[in-house]
Amino acid sequence: MSRRIRRLLVANRGEIAVRVMRTCRELDVTSIALFSEPDRAALHVLLADEAYPIGPGPSRESYLNLERVIETAVRVKADAIHPGYGFFAENERFAAACDEAGIAFVGPRPATIASLGDKLAARAAARAAGVPLVPGSPGPIESLDAARDVAKQIGWPLMLKAAAGGGGKGMRVVRDAKELEAAWELTRGEALAAFGDARVYVERAILRPRHVEAQILADSTGRVAFLGERECSVQRRHQKLLEETPSPAFDAATRARFAEAAVRVAKQVGYLNAGTVEFILDENGEFFFLEVNTRLQVEHPVTEMVTGLDLVAEQIAIAEGAPLSFGDTPPAPRGWSMEARVVAEDPARNFMPSVGRIERVRFPAGPGIRNDAGFYRGYTIPVFYDSLLSKLVVWGADREQARRRLVRALDEFVLEGVSHNLGFHRWLAAHPEFAAGRLSTQFIAEHFRPDSLAPGTEATEVALMAAALHAREERLRIALPQSAGPSRWSGRDRRRSPR
Amino acid sequence: MSRFWVTLEGRDAEVGFRTENERLVIELEGRTLEADFLRLPDGEVYSLLVNGRSYEVRVSDTPNGVDVALLSTNIPVEVRHPLEKLLQSTAGARAGSGGETVSAPMPGVVVALRVAVGDTVEAGQTVAIVEAMKMQNELAARSGGVVSEVLVGERTSVAAGQPLVKLKAAGA
Repeated sequence: MSRRIRRLLVANRGEIAVRVMRTCRELDVTSIALFSEPDRAALHVLLADEAYPIGPGPSRESYLNLERVIETAVRVKADAIHPGYGFFAENERFAAACDEAGIAFVGPRPATIASLGDKLAARAAARAAGVPLVPGSPGPIESLDAARDVAKQIGWPLMLKAAAGGGGKGMRVVRDAKELEAAWELTRGEALAAFGDARVYVERAILRPRHVEAQILADSTGRVAFLGERECSVQRRHQKLLEETPSPAFDAATRARFAEAAVRVAKQVGYLNAGTVEFILDENGEFFFLEVNTRLQVEHPVTEMVTGLDLVAEQIAIAEGAPLSFGDTPPAPRGWSMEARVVAEDPARNFMPSVGRIERVRFPAGPGIRNDAGFYRGYTIPVFYDSLLSKLVVWGADREQARRRLVRALDEFVLEGVSHNLGFHRWLAAHPEFAAGRLSTQFIAEHFRPDSLAPGTEATEVALMAAALHAREERLRIALPQSAGPSRWSGRDRRRSPR
Repeated sequence: MSRFWVTLEGRDAEVGFRTENERLVIELEGRTLEADFLRLPDGEVYSLLVNGRSYEVRVSDTPNGVDVALLSTNIPVEVRHPLEKLLQSTAGARAGSGGETVSAPMPGVVVALRVAVGDTVEAGQTVAIVEAMKMQNELAARSGGVVSEVLVGERTSVAAGQPLVKLKAAGA
C-alpha cells in the first residue's frame, strides 16, 4: 500500500526540524512546521513552507500536546508526520494516533515502539534473537548465597542493581566476595528506601565501557540493512557529546559480528524504518545488547557523511511503502566522520545550561564540514527546550584527518552571547587519549578538570591588551571612586559630537 | 602615553600605549609590542595584530568590567584607571566580606530549596535547585554563612539574576 507523501508535518523544533525540512525541499515535499509562542522567530519556522502555532512555551502545552498536534495535522491536511527525536519520537500512543487519523507516521509501527520501549521486553527480544546481553542473573536474586553462586559464574567485579532502579541510581560495584557480603544488605536497604522495592539483581560490572551503536534501516518488504556503527563513548550526565563512525575499537571481524547481531534484533521484532541498536563494549572488545532507539538519532549525520545516504529521505521512502533505495547492498562506507554537539552550557560550571541571545556567529566552512544549526545571529534561545545549538560534523579520509579538521573547524567557529562548549570540544579533540582513540564513557571523569579550559598565557595576555585597547577606543571616562568600596565605571563619555 | 590597570582573576597588569610613527606600541609587563587594532563592522569586535599575530576578539561590557571572547574562551577583565589602584591600596583591606546573595544564573523554576532562615551554610553547599532547559542545576553558596533571607518559594519561576537566598557572614 504505497502512497506518495506530499505534505510532511514536522512535529519538532530546533536543528532536527530544520534537518528534516531540508530533505523535504530536495524531494519537493511541502514542509509544515509547528511552533510554540516563543518559537515564532525560530529557524525551523523561517525555513518551512508552511507554519502553524501550537500553543504556549512549555512543551507539554505545545509540542507535547498530542491532541493539538494531531488536530493541527488533520486541519492543514498533512499526509505524514516526522517526529524528529525527543518529543513524540518514541511514543506509541502518538504513532497510533497518526494511524487512526490516516496520517503516515515516519517511524516504526506503534507495537514495535511499545515493545522496545519496555527494557525487559527489549532484552527478552535480544535474548530470543541470540544476541549477547551483559552476563548476570536472569532475574532478581533471593539470597546472599544465590548472589555468591551467580558471582562464581560471571566473575568479579560485579554490579548489584536495584530491580526498580534506573538512570544510574541504585547501583553498587562489588569487587570480591567480602565486599559482596557487606554490599548485599546495604543495596537492598537503599533500594527499598529509594524505590519501595528491595529486589536486586546481579550483572558483570563493566567499569570502563564504550558505547557503540548500529544504524539500521528496515523497509516494509522485511529487508534490514546495517549502515555501520557509531561510537558515542564521550558522554556527560548520560548524554552524548561527541560521536564518530567507524568506531576506533572495531576491526572487520568484530564489525561483521556486530552487524549480524543488530540485524537479528531488528528482524526478531519485525522492525520498520530507521532505528539504532545500542550496545556496550567491554575492555576486551566484547559487545552486549543495551536497548533499541526507535527513531532517527541526533548523531545520524556521521553515518550520512560516510555512506552518502540521506537517512531522512530513506525514512520518507519507507513510510511511502517503497523499498530501500540501495536494494540488498548498502553503500560501502568511505572515510571517517565525527560530530561535536555544540550545546549552550558552561563546561567550567559543571555543564550548566545557558540561555540568552546569540550576539554574534560565524560558522566554520571549507573542506569536509557540515554544520546542522537551529539558530542564527540575534536569535534568543528559549528556556523551555533542549540546549543543543548545532551539530558540527566533519568528514576526513581517515580518523586523523577528520580529527584535525574538527580542531580546525572549532577554531573557526565564532559563537558569542551564550556560554557554549566549543572550548570543551577543542580540548577534547586535541587530547592525546582522544587522538589515540582510547575512549570510554568515563573519559570526562578521568581526564576533564575544571581548569582544563583555563585560558593559556597567550590568550590571557591578548585579553588584557584587548580590554585596555577597548577602553581606550571607547574613550571611557573613568571617575574616581566615591567610597572605599570596590569602584566601577561610573559612566562613560563617548565624546561623539552630534551630527 | 596612556595607561590602564587591568585585572584578570587576581593578576594585575598595567598596559601602556603610545604612538610611534603612526604605529601603536603596547607596553605590557616590561615588554614592548607592536600592535594594530581594528574595529570590525559587526559590533564590538576587533581584529588585533600583536607583533603580526592575528587575533579576533569581542569585548563586551559587564557590570564588573568587560568580557573578552577569543580562542573560544570568554575571559572577564576589570579595567581601571591607575589612580584607582592607589586609592584602593590606601583604603586597605577593611572592606571585609559582608555576606553573599545566591541568585538564579538563568531563568527557570525553583524546584527545591535546601535551606531555611537561620541555617548555617558552608562554602560550596547547595542552597537551591533551579530547573531550566530540562536540567536541574544545583546552586551553591560561594563563601557560606548564615541564611538571613529566603526570597522565593518552591515552584516559583525566576528570572536570570534574581536573588534567591541571602547569607550573612558567619560571626558577622
